[in-house]
Amino acid sequence: MKLRILLADDHEIVRRGLCSLLQKREGWEVCGEASDGREAVDMAKQLKPDVVIVDIGMPYLNGLDTTRQLLQLDPNFKVIVLTITDSDQVIREALDAGARGFVLKSDAARDLVAAVEALQSKRMFFTPRVNDLVLAGFLEKGHAISRNEPPDLPTLTAREREVTQLLAEGKSSKEVAVLLNLSTKTVETHRSNIMRKLSLHSIRDLVVYAIKNNIIQIQMPPQLRPSETTVA
Amino acid sequence: MAVRILLVDDHPIVRQGLRTLLEGRPGWEVVGEASDGIEALDKVEDLQPDVVVLDVTMPRMNGLEACRLIQQKRKTSLEVLFVTQHDSPQMMREALDAGARGYVVKSNAARDLLEAVEAVSQHRVFTALARGPHASC
Repeated sequence: MKLRILLADDHEIVRRGLCSLLQKREGWEVCGEASDGREAVDMAKQLKPDVVIVDIGMPYLNGLDTTRQLLQLDPNFKVIVLTITDSDQVIREALDAGARGFVLKSDAARDLVAAVEALQSKRMFFTPRVNDLVLAGFLEKGHAISRNEPPDLPTLTAREREVTQLLAEGKSSKEVAVLLNLSTKTVETHRSNIMRKLSLHSIRDLVVYAIKNNIIQIQMPPQLRPSETTVA
Repeated sequence: MAVRILLVDDHPIVRQGLRTLLEGRPGWEVVGEASDGIEALDKVEDLQPDVVVLDVTMPRMNGLEACRLIQQKRKTSLEVLFVTQHDSPQMMREALDAGARGYVVKSNAARDLLEAVEAVSQHRVFTALARGPHASC
């Protein structure tokens, strides 16, 4: 029987690359492609894939919340998170969300097949950076990073996180209501609760919160990237 | 028309996606790949492509800088086409000022890239932000 893989990335060109890589393996099949997290959750419900590969920085529903929703639907889903960054915070959130694989997009051509193989064999797959972080957490605290560790920030519900992302992406309450199939009044209530819980006072504050907490990701132009060097 | 293309992006998986798209067009050939601006300069020298498909944000040397240097050193009628995540008129202006003939946003590359390569290979300008494409002579 074929191993069925669902891909979720908002860039079709990336999905093409991933498809081309994965379908070279005999016995593997890309059973579906989603361009955002909400579509991925819907497709996973229908297609019941063996492995779901999700990009972190997707519109409407980011990859971390997609992972949470997938595992809430069915704890047996095996999710690999694809990311452009391996910052401590992103790694912790991915582990906390329940991802069983963590692959940097820049290394996907090298690591993704190994990651899928690992999950196929009921193992986990993480980049060396993640392994270091888990080990450091184990040594410091006497235990591995706990998935139940309380967050430093007030906890938003899954629905509030979805609303936060959509508002931070610039959508109005009315647009959010249509996307989530809710009334505008319900969205306004979520919005008030979010602002109160997080002690925020404006949409600008909400956008900053969403960026800092990896709910949305922004692409910095090269001129503003301090670590990047150019050679004349 | 035969077109020889060099792909420059720091993510191999993106290069793979671009390659599968471009090689579907009869007569078009991806003659090489590079993962940053410095490597791109070497490959341009060695391979003499017709079109360089270039990312903006890359390690060591970004695409804007590479584009300026390619323009300074070019010996053939080569054209540069940016494929980037930056859906920004300001970045598009910088790319064209650096000497590029085309600008396509990565999220729409599957929609716009073939038309863009065709245009720039005929030395026409092709620019497309997320809203939609615009081609001119």
